[in-house]
Amino acid sequence: MRRLSALVGLLSLLCAPFTADAHALLDHANPRVGSTVAPAPTELLLWFTQKLEPAFSTVEVRDANGARVDDGRVQVDSSDATLLHVPLKPLGGGSYEVRWRVLSVDTHTTEGRFRFNVGK
Amino acid sequence: MRVAHALLPRIAVIALAGLLPLSAHAHCFVGIRFLPATLTIDDPCVADELSFPTVSWAKSGDVPPTSQLDISGEFSKRITENLGISIGTGWTRLTTPGSPTASGFDNLETTLQYQLVKDGQREFALSAAIGVEWGGTGASVVGSDSFSTITPSVLFGKGLGDLPDRMGWARPFALTGQIGYSFPTRTSTNSVDPDTGLSSSTPNPQFLTYGFTLQYSMPYLKSSVVDLDLPGFLNHLIPIVETQFATPVANKAGTGIGTTGTINPGVIWVGSYFQVGLEAIAPVNHASGTGVGVLAQLHLYLDDIFPTTIGRPLIGAQNGTAKQGN
Repeated sequence: MRRLSALVGLLSLLCAPFTADAHALLDHANPRVGSTVAPAPTELLLWFTQKLEPAFSTVEVRDANGARVDDGRVQVDSSDATLLHVPLKPLGGGSYEVRWRVLSVDTHTTEGRFRFNVGK
Repeated sequence: MRVAHALLPRIAVIALAGLLPLSAHAHCFVGIRFLPATLTIDDPCVADELSFPTVSWAKSGDVPPTSQLDISGEFSKRITENLGISIGTGWTRLTTPGSPTASGFDNLETTLQYQLVKDGQREFALSAAIGVEWGGTGASVVGSDSFSTITPSVLFGKGLGDLPDRMGWARPFALTGQIGYSFPTRTSTNSVDPDTGLSSSTPNPQFLTYGFTLQYSMPYLKSSVVDLDLPGFLNHLIPIVETQFATPVANKAGTGIGTTGTINPGVIWVGSYFQVGLEAIAPVNHASGTGVGVLAQLHLYLDDIFPTTIGRPLIGAQNGTAKQGN
């Protein structure tokens, strides 16, 4: 019975109010993951599930030849710390790979990758 | 009748051995792959987590069948980034038509687990563990052994994210597994027939235990392959099939015990701070049970709920710097 009491006590502790931040995972993107868009976007937008630390968040966008097509800047939105803005160079038709790595405010890093296509 | 009743817990436990979930809990990021804590077998990562409660119900293959209800919990804690320990126990109620209901705690179980490999590029994880069921810490009336059992095991997980783009639909698949060998610390158990006064000795077999999962991650599909604009609830689901088997391989003469196991199809809903899993329990043979049981679990990610306190490793916790995926 004492073991059950201990488990219930631990659960009660977990249910108490707390401040927490979890892993930042990609919620959605524009252009959408795996989509084909036209005309070519001038900016990639990435929404995450948690607030981000801008200094340690990186995004690379490369074309089918491996050349970077982002301009190297990544900005956290001034009014929404879960949104990253990634300005893009002029894109032609083809497939593009996005690789992101972000740090949430609780110091968890997460990473991911996906593709989108630009129609001609 | 007294003999039958005295043997009931032992028979029920043997019959239902394949139905009971092994310890099964870790928050597991491997590169861009997240492997959820699985309900039936363990997953291949160490982490700071709590599974409570895990509730299962199943019926044995006896005539009449014994219904077994289990309510259990397990707390997992990282000692270092790669070394973790977990402790768990449960409460069991056995109900057999025509016999008194038996209930009590199971033996205490502890597991020491070490992360051998975490290869994010290949979405591959490997760990080794040694689990101990501490004999005599539970109630014999529900079949808790009076002797301890030691189970070294290896655990692995592999995501299929490295498949070519033309097979993108298959990239959300992942396979995990656990293979172990159980050594009882006592080779036989002596018992006395209360009617005749005769004593007998029953061998305690050594078991090969093995289980696998096949899972399809809807979160992976949405964030890495194609966003189908599905309702949010569906994007948090991981449909899964788990299997678990135990095969006696040594010291089994005269026991009549064969391979038992279950196949457990179900689904896990994954959130930011916790996950909820629900599975059916389908026995693979009569010795493993009758009918379809059910298994449910609430699993809390302590490293996300308490990232600066109990959600960190005891030794070598990174402070103010990024920690990969844990």
